[in-house]
Amino acid sequence: MIGNDIIDLTLAETESDWQRRGFLEKQFTSEEQVIIFETKNSFEIVWRIWSMKEAAYKIYTQQNEERFFAPNKFECELTSEDEGIVRFQNQIFYTSSILDGSYVFTLACLDKSTKAYSSIGPSYGIDQRIKMKLEEETGLPTSEIEQKKSKYGAPNYFYKNKPLTKSCSISHHGNYGVFSIQLT
Amino acid sequence: MKREELITSLKKIVKPYIQNEEAFECLTEETDFINDLKINSANLVDVILDVEDEFDIEIDNESMEKMLSVKAALDIIETKLSEF
Repeated sequence: MIGNDIIDLTLAETESDWQRRGFLEKQFTSEEQVIIFETKNSFEIVWRIWSMKEAAYKIYTQQNEERFFAPNKFECELTSEDEGIVRFQNQIFYTSSILDGSYVFTLACLDKSTKAYSSIGPSYGIDQRIKMKLEEETGLPTSEIEQKKSKYGAPNYFYKNKPLTKSCSISHHGNYGVFSIQLT
Repeated sequence: MKREELITSLKKIVKPYIQNEEAFECLTEETDFINDLKINSANLVDVILDVEDEFDIEIDNESMEKMLSVKAALDIIETKLSEF
């Protein structure tokens, strides 16, 4: 299972003030706050860690069909420039992030060896882009491919009720839209 | 403070973060911050911090976890206010 998140850094800069009193304390563990304050690019690291929490939370809600707001319980560790680990209760989520200066993208998965395809683009037309990718992969026409959402909003794609995706995650923020799919 | 007064104050707090004007106009207790008002999850903490400032209360982690809807927020504010 996979979960993703994208943050448009230009928008994040105006939409949120990470230096606001309480912002970090409520959502980040004390270890994470140390990482944030010890780095030169605190702003980007705040959003990288945030996207890791969000991507892991998306997997958790798909699995457990439960919603809540507890970002500080998703404990993040940065293991390399782009990889990380998120711990929540007894679970471990593996993350891989892309920071390109204008956005932060994170893909989380339960198993390190998960093969997933992600595509970052504009914030609109994501559904059509997914269908085109699935057409390319399966040879089925986009017009016959259909999206269905679970009660908790997790999408999956089907051809005549036959699932084409094992897991699918969609995020948009500001100018960016991204999808990640794991094929069946 | 009456429930209606609380809703009015809460509406003022969430207004800067909403991305669905229509859902905001017909806000009820059942309105969900993320699914209905389309508040960005990264702004949910701002709603919580603004609520703390406005009502001079502290929202602990346990309460914060539930703050996804107008109803949950109102219940939490009422409980915290009655603790004084």
